[in-house]
Amino acid sequence: MIDSSHHKASLLEVDGLSIDYGLKGISSRAIDGVSFALRAGEAVGLVGESGSGKTTTAMAIAGLLSPNARVSSGEVRYRGNRLPIDDDAAMRPHRWTETSVVFQGAMNALNPVHRIVKQIAEPCMLKLGMSRGEATGRARELLELVGIPADRGAAYPHELSGGMRQRVMIAMALACRPSIVIGDEPTTALDVITQAQILKLLGELRSQLNLALILITHDLSVVAECCDRVMIMYAGRIVEDGAVSEIFAKPKHPYTRLLIDAIPNPANGKKMIRPIPGDPPNLLTRPSGCVFHPRCPSAIGICATEVPSLEKCGQGRVACHLHRSSQQDRVSVHA
Amino acid sequence: MSESIIRYSGRQARAIKTFLGRFLGYGGAQVGLVCLAFFIVVAAVPDILVGPLQTAINATGEFLAPPSSQHVLGTDEVGRDVLNLVVHGARISLTIALLATVISLVVGTTIGMTAGYYGGVVDVWLMRFTDFFFVMPSFVLALVITPVVVEVIGRGQEILGFRPSLFVILVVIGMTSWAFVARIVRSQTLSLKERTFIDRARVVGSSNFSIMVRHILPNLVPQIAANGALVVAGAIFVETSLSFLGLGDPLQPSWGTLLSLAQRAGAASAGAWWYLGAPGACVLTVSLSFVLIGNALDDTFNPRRRVIP
Amino acid sequence: MPDTANILQLESLQVHFPIQGGLFDRVLGRPAGAVRAVDGIDLSVGRGEIVALVGESGSGKTTVGRVITKLAQPTGGKMLFEGRDMTSVQRASALRPYRHRVQMIFQDAYQALNPRHTIFDIVAEPLRSLRLVDNRKQLADRVSEALASAGLNPPGDFFARFPHELSGGQRQRVVIAGALAVKPELIVADEPVSMLDVSIRAQILQVLVDLRHKHNMALLFITHDLPLAWLIADRIAVLYLGKLVEIGSADEITFQPRHPYTVALLNATPQMGGDAGRAEVPALQGEVPSAARVPKGCRFHPRCPLAFDRCRQEEPPPIEVGPKHLAACWLAN
Repeated sequence: MIDSSHHKASLLEVDGLSIDYGLKGISSRAIDGVSFALRAGEAVGLVGESGSGKTTTAMAIAGLLSPNARVSSGEVRYRGNRLPIDDDAAMRPHRWTETSVVFQGAMNALNPVHRIVKQIAEPCMLKLGMSRGEATGRARELLELVGIPADRGAAYPHELSGGMRQRVMIAMALACRPSIVIGDEPTTALDVITQAQILKLLGELRSQLNLALILITHDLSVVAECCDRVMIMYAGRIVEDGAVSEIFAKPKHPYTRLLIDAIPNPANGKKMIRPIPGDPPNLLTRPSGCVFHPRCPSAIGICATEVPSLEKCGQGRVACHLHRSSQQDRVSVHA
Repeated sequence: MSESIIRYSGRQARAIKTFLGRFLGYGGAQVGLVCLAFFIVVAAVPDILVGPLQTAINATGEFLAPPSSQHVLGTDEVGRDVLNLVVHGARISLTIALLATVISLVVGTTIGMTAGYYGGVVDVWLMRFTDFFFVMPSFVLALVITPVVVEVIGRGQEILGFRPSLFVILVVIGMTSWAFVARIVRSQTLSLKERTFIDRARVVGSSNFSIMVRHILPNLVPQIAANGALVVAGAIFVETSLSFLGLGDPLQPSWGTLLSLAQRAGAASAGAWWYLGAPGACVLTVSLSFVLIGNALDDTFNPRRRVIP
Repeated sequence: MPDTANILQLESLQVHFPIQGGLFDRVLGRPAGAVRAVDGIDLSVGRGEIVALVGESGSGKTTVGRVITKLAQPTGGKMLFEGRDMTSVQRASALRPYRHRVQMIFQDAYQALNPRHTIFDIVAEPLRSLRLVDNRKQLADRVSEALASAGLNPPGDFFARFPHELSGGQRQRVVIAGALAVKPELIVADEPVSMLDVSIRAQILQVLVDLRHKHNMALLFITHDLPLAWLIADRIAVLYLGKLVEIGSADEITFQPRHPYTVALLNATPQMGGDAGRAEVPALQGEVPSAARVPKGCRFHPRCPLAFDRCRQEEPPPIEVGPKHLAACWLAN
């Protein structure tokens, strides 16, 4: 379906993106200099806690920024072209046809008074210019694709279970054949077993349709299940970026390490949890230097004063003063 | 500990200050408050402003004279100064409206909260009772009650400083407007009692009474305040209507009574616009002020418009 | 370590919510159905013991918690607290001694705190309503003590603040402090960390585990997360559609599960180690059926990959499969 001649090049590039939210005259920075590239068919997990900026990053890519958001620097390029992410009208042709979103609360995102087949057909009619008959046919195809018998299309959202509704959301996201699908905590409201079913479905669809998948979540273990690559965000910045297997085996950033340690894992048999001290940062009072330094157990002097840049480290990237090749001597000085 | 308690009261004051700041930020609230303050001052000291209430005996002007330098708002059919009457009427109208609102809020909140909190049979019966008052026309009720009250009290007597017909109007407005408050309070209570903090209050051993007073009531204040302002506006309106129909007391004339007198004196056909216009404008302005204040209160309390940083 | 005496005992506890039939059903005399939220549960909690109640949404785990905290009334079975039957006690005055000893921690701390009350008033509420203090000084001391043991230091700084001024983790600590203020013997914690950020969860769990060590407090930990249950609990009880399917020590349930549902839950839990070490069992199909239409026979059979004829006809009783390890499955022995 998608011409794959340029799969080597990046499908999407985010370059030094900073976004502020204006709130009653006070401006607070949601994301600060975020840069990364996404290849076609790649599955990336965007992991962070509340206020980490993961949702803002994803909504910027999807062209769904709220009206009080302002892009203060940087840009987003899709297939090499700059996206007008802060212009609602100019983003309209891009939105949903190239990048679509699977939202968290399927019950809120679906209209309770319309049959689901009609709701899936709607974007096909609006965006692809299909007739009602064609669009309904397409909607039935999509339902089968996400594992719902096409006959169930006549149901209303409340007649479906939570897992089924989330499948409908996925079908809607796929309606216009996008090349990037963003999952905004798509399984957070679901039970464990249903979550596993949905994650499996997303994985299958991704390889079947060569989709690039951006999975936003606060749960590292979900990323471990279905992504190739993971980016850890903290207080609006990417602190670590790398292959899933590598990051879980050898986390480089202290925050990543602590996050992994905070998840109980019977597989390693240790009944120990290590609390991360302190509270998540408040966006209005961002710490100086490395944003994680007030909570970091291995912070050194420079962490409080100088912002560590996201630099290449092994196969991935990490923003930590302890992992800069040129930093070794300085560390010893401070130690 | 004591300094924490001192800080606590300081915080309350600060909370009130932020509330006022937000409330006064609405243009409607400013206009409403200014108008209302004006009428309250007028109602508080009528004698100082325009002298004692004029009657047919101590009337000072011509019959139905148009506004002049001597009688700024003209005179009525017996030569009384309309300004004098309107200023004295403010006191009667506002007192009746405010007291009726108090009755309505107290009864409505108690019944609505009890029905919503206990649910079940209590709810069914209290709400049927409420429905009965909801559909009762205030005019009919007033017409039925007035002769009874006058008979019981005796003509010319006073109840709590009110002449019987005014007292009846007061009670009738209270009785017919609480049902509206009860319904709003009940629906709000129904949603409040599903909140987890009510479960928590039960687990920590609070009694039903204390849950209602300490947990539900404070969370109802926004609704009660916003709707209370609207109830006042409605009460002024009903008071005017009832007085206009002749239920008022000519010796304690409210704005409605004045309108009624003007109507009977043929002010409309005689072209005496000042006689109808002055009390009419007062009713309109005061009702509007309360509606503006009510809306501003609603906006201030409405959490969806507030952003918590 | 846990005492052998049970502090709480549930005996075939049952909570059925009647379904209001329509007018037609009533006229025709059709029997109205019932949602069998909790359908016969036997469970005990020892003094100072941490028991985890694990299940998906619709399993009835929250209802069990509400029965124990007297927020819901059982329709059958018994609830014994220190051997005394508390099943039908409902009067507020009769419940006061019970409330003094059994407290609850809620999932959503923001919802559980009255937005118009200060932290002091919130934590003081149980002390005032259960009349546990004589004067203001004592009240302030007890509130400080509770806030401090929930990890809010210095306590005085929090007295005059309102819930919306705190972070999510601090709010959950306030809820915990409110429960601790009366020094209860049993705390029911309903998903106390599921709404919190990952980095905060461990802090809150630490507070809960410390309580057991310091005050020998028993904890019924309700969660949907098996690894978390394993981490914190001595014993795990797995609930499916209103019934216990398996109960045993935390290690046995995690490493030697005997009920196919427990196995499926463990398999579905995303793990950071990848798929290594997982049993090769086909993933479960479908979702938990409605508690208004409980399947005949074993209630798990329509989704069970191992179901056979007997499962469709007869409901399996709990079968002892190890020391203090019961599984309600025909295949367990």
